[in-house]
Amino acid sequence: MKITDLKKNMGSFSLEIDHLDIEPGKIHGLAGHNGCGKTILLKTIMGILEPDKGTIDLEGLNHRSMTMMMQRPYLLHGSVYENVIYPLKLRNMEVDQAEVDRLLERAGLLAQKNQYARSLSSGERQKLSFLRAIIFRPEFIIMDETLSNMDPDSEKIITDMIKEIQETDPVTWLIVTHQTQRRDDLCDVIHYMEKGRIINETA
Amino acid sequence: MENIISWFRECFTDEAILSAIGVTFRMAFFACLISSVSGIAFGLMLERFNFKGKKLIIRLNRTLMGMPPVVAGLVVYLLLMRRGPLGMLGWLFTIKGMVMAQCLIIVPVMTGMVHQHAVSKVPAIREFCITMGADRRQTLWTIIKEMRHDIYFCVVTCFGRSISEVGSVMLVGGNIKGRTRTMTTAISLLKSQGIFTEGVALGLVLLVMAFIIQWFCDFLQKEESADENY
Repeated sequence: MKITDLKKNMGSFSLEIDHLDIEPGKIHGLAGHNGCGKTILLKTIMGILEPDKGTIDLEGLNHRSMTMMMQRPYLLHGSVYENVIYPLKLRNMEVDQAEVDRLLERAGLLAQKNQYARSLSSGERQKLSFLRAIIFRPEFIIMDETLSNMDPDSEKIITDMIKEIQETDPVTWLIVTHQTQRRDDLCDVIHYMEKGRIINETA
Repeated sequence: MENIISWFRECFTDEAILSAIGVTFRMAFFACLISSVSGIAFGLMLERFNFKGKKLIIRLNRTLMGMPPVVAGLVVYLLLMRRGPLGMLGWLFTIKGMVMAQCLIIVPVMTGMVHQHAVSKVPAIREFCITMGADRRQTLWTIIKEMRHDIYFCVVTCFGRSISEVGSVMLVGGNIKGRTRTMTTAISLLKSQGIFTEGVALGLVLLVMAFIIQWFCDFLQKEESADENY
């Protein structure tokens, strides 16, 4: 994915990305202080916000093969299970019950499978959002501070799952997290943002 | 006790009372159905599309939400009377005309309520649908499904408003026995004639219906309040 001369004006704030290359199959980190424009950039990539100027070349990807986990995930009225299989139903994909159960167990949510999803704690909601994002095997996954509200054990489970996916069937990730150590441990490339601009990139 | 039971039996075998109940339900059902379909569509469209004059339309709709039913009745009467622009329909003093008057009252209420709920909920649902890769049809279906509790609540409120309304149905329907007499117009007439027994019976039916509607609203709200973080 290539982003060139992207501009998005949000009133008093302006996002200006001259150039950003997202290499396929790699884990990209996005770092920066609160309010530096990370979420606006992610939403623009996802197609939630329309850019005022510039191009986002998805290079063969389309919005149905991408997904984004929001800072505050929206959960559907219904059970944890119904939430997890939602993207499969959208795509008329067959639900592999064993696979759903395996993922729920891995994330520590199997006991809550039939529980009302909105009764979950914020950390559990993030884990549910993670499972919902990976279940349909997208090619590009965006995580907007998904790890932030998790306890260390849950955070480790999710990062381990990301690593497993990368070992077996690598996909492209763009991850925002403020946990420096976790970010350094997980990401292949880290892009630093400040006041709406990419200021640095480290591999 | 036996006296009360026989009184009830007498009241509810009276053809005039049964007819008033039937007319009320028929009118409320169709008024609610038409208002719900159009109100939901208008409410969601007002949330979705930005256009010139949108704020003015919202303000006008809010004004219409508070329109006195008698005024709505008068407007519909003037439209439907023999020399009126819609006089050729022949709907004056019919249930159709009463439904029309009710729609004039309820559609703005339904539109306003749905719009209010949509403004606070739909943007998050729409963003979520985009992140899940839903197409337009799937997004619309998800929005309606996710807002179902709010929509039930709006429909129930509008149904309640419809069955309890007197002014407009009296004007447009004419309170004709066995044809356009509703429970509320019958109560009003019975009271003016000093016949309280049947009036009280009809009032009780309305109260039971109000209770059922209230209970249904509570049930929906209870389900909504499960949205908590434990």
